[in-house]
Amino acid sequence: MNSTVSFFYFLSFLTILSAVMVVVSRNPIHSVLYLILAFFTLSGHYILLNAQFLAAVNIIVYAGAIMVLFLFVIMFLNMKQDNEEAKTNIAKIAATIVGGTVFVILFGAYRKSAIPAFNPENFDSQVGMIENLGHILFREYLLPFELASILLLVAMVGAVMLGKREIGERHF
Amino acid sequence: MYPIVLLSFFGIVTLFLGFSKSKNILLPATLLFLIIALAGNFLEWNKGPLLYFYDMLRVDNVTLAFNGIILLSAFMIFAISGGFQDNPDSEPAEYFGLMLFSLVGALMMVGFQHLIMLFIGVEILSVAMYVLTGSNKRNLRSNEAALKYFLMGAFATGFMLFGITLLYGATGSFKLEQIQGFASNMQVGSESYILYAGLLLLLIGMLFKVSAAPFHFWTPDVYEGAPTIFTTFMSTVVKTAGFAALFRLLSGSFTGVYGFWWIVIAAIAVLTLLVGNIGATSQNSFKRMLAYSGISHAGYLLIALTALSKPSQNAIIFYSLAYSLSTICAFGVLMLVSKEKTIGGQPNEYYDAFNGLAKQNPLLAFVLTVSMLSLAGIPLTAGFWGKFFIFTSAAERGIIWITVIAVLMSTVGIYYYFRVIISSYLKEGDLVKIRVAPFYKVILVLATFLTILFGLAPGIFEGLI
Repeated sequence: MNSTVSFFYFLSFLTILSAVMVVVSRNPIHSVLYLILAFFTLSGHYILLNAQFLAAVNIIVYAGAIMVLFLFVIMFLNMKQDNEEAKTNIAKIAATIVGGTVFVILFGAYRKSAIPAFNPENFDSQVGMIENLGHILFREYLLPFELASILLLVAMVGAVMLGKREIGERHF
Repeated sequence: MYPIVLLSFFGIVTLFLGFSKSKNILLPATLLFLIIALAGNFLEWNKGPLLYFYDMLRVDNVTLAFNGIILLSAFMIFAISGGFQDNPDSEPAEYFGLMLFSLVGALMMVGFQHLIMLFIGVEILSVAMYVLTGSNKRNLRSNEAALKYFLMGAFATGFMLFGITLLYGATGSFKLEQIQGFASNMQVGSESYILYAGLLLLLIGMLFKVSAAPFHFWTPDVYEGAPTIFTTFMSTVVKTAGFAALFRLLSGSFTGVYGFWWIVIAAIAVLTLLVGNIGATSQNSFKRMLAYSGISHAGYLLIALTALSKPSQNAIIFYSLAYSLSTICAFGVLMLVSKEKTIGGQPNEYYDAFNGLAKQNPLLAFVLTVSMLSLAGIPLTAGFWGKFFIFTSAAERGIIWITVIAVLMSTVGIYYYFRVIISSYLKEGDLVKIRVAPFYKVILVLATFLTILFGLAPGIFEGLI
């Protein structure tokens, strides 16, 4: 086992651990902090896969901007630990069965299929660099790239429209 | 190709038109934009399959037919919105802009040839719909509907994205043709189960968008909470685009593994039919009934997808058209009638609002009757032939049992569709004459005329596609 492989296993362990902790933490602030850890370890995976640009963007956008937003919202809502909604046992059992089944199916699918391996000799180490990414983004993926701007515009218009102050009282 | 570019541009123009003092220009301008987009759409008719932008988008006559249905429905809905003049709180420029942008998403879903296009299309359409659902900001039900739709829709998007990722992992490509090549060449014994898992997750995401059971739980609440004009948009444009996307996905890249997925879709189709039709019988609100009816029609369309035989393509196109026309009529009449008698300041959307409609408003009652007959699938309306073509496609594949269930369920449908007809013709009511704007009347009459025309001559477009 060379150092890359052992580093991969270490990162994977940390990713899964922090992802599980996001779900099981009772305090939402802790959840968010674990989520930040998960994003950092995922960025580690990107670097292992030679996607340096993606790793940097992941840290800047997700671990930076979006997490600040998350923390801000959580502090804004002032969530208390005790007003958590109690779930019935049946819901818990059903959720466990469904989740377990999905896990078994996905795990079984992974075990039974052959994942095509790549040949390290003709692997282009520059594949994840900005230059290559730019070439692909503005040539092959030009149309979805441009139309993604419509998506952002829709989100922005919607946010402004919903965020405007409304005069008058609410009704049912 | 042209309508996507045109509508993206026109959407921005519409937002700028909102700066002008007079809001009267918005409605004619957007209607003009839609006519231009429709004309641009049919410029490419019969030009053969065209691929644009490195195989991102495919334009053939099927794409153009679906685009035509979507743009025509949008035109009618825009027209009956009346420019939102009657509501002083409304922001027409934003509404029209968002709807034009959401049409871009719908057209992307129709013509996609690459899964990224599908994803961005679904997201543009959905995000615009989340916002429009919540556009009646002071109404708590509208707020609740928007939040519910948004949270569940985001969850469904997660499934879809995970499915696309697994498909990429299995096949090494996002392109429909290459996925098709991979799926067709799988050997027995060395199938890629990751492909199956990816397909299932992608289907979950898409079936959520077309409100098939068991992913339908959001539909009644969201359809009821949203302002009626946007409910109309959701149940016509979004549904047509969703089925066009499902059809393209399944026929374009998964015919090789038909044996794997057909039973899944068949089971979901049967469940959707049961939930939609039986759920609709117990509703007291007409609008909620139409939401359940939307679920049941998704079930009929899923039958055509299950069969995926030669007539399926035409069946889906014809059914979407018939369903859209009738739904626009039904919601159009509902919008007029519900404003007459309000409950606590809110439009009355219950069945009893229609009591005695025929006495003073024979035209509205007639429009409503034709649309209900068409939705129920009574002969001499377009809905009958839509169902007929769908059952033909299932029979072609030899799946008779599903047709039997569907016929049984459509007899259940007669019960709840006829309730409103009985209300408007036989029950006593004190509805006065409702003033209908001339343009509104033209659209309702046009949709009714088309419903009857397709009912009398269903083969009018045969052989074109």
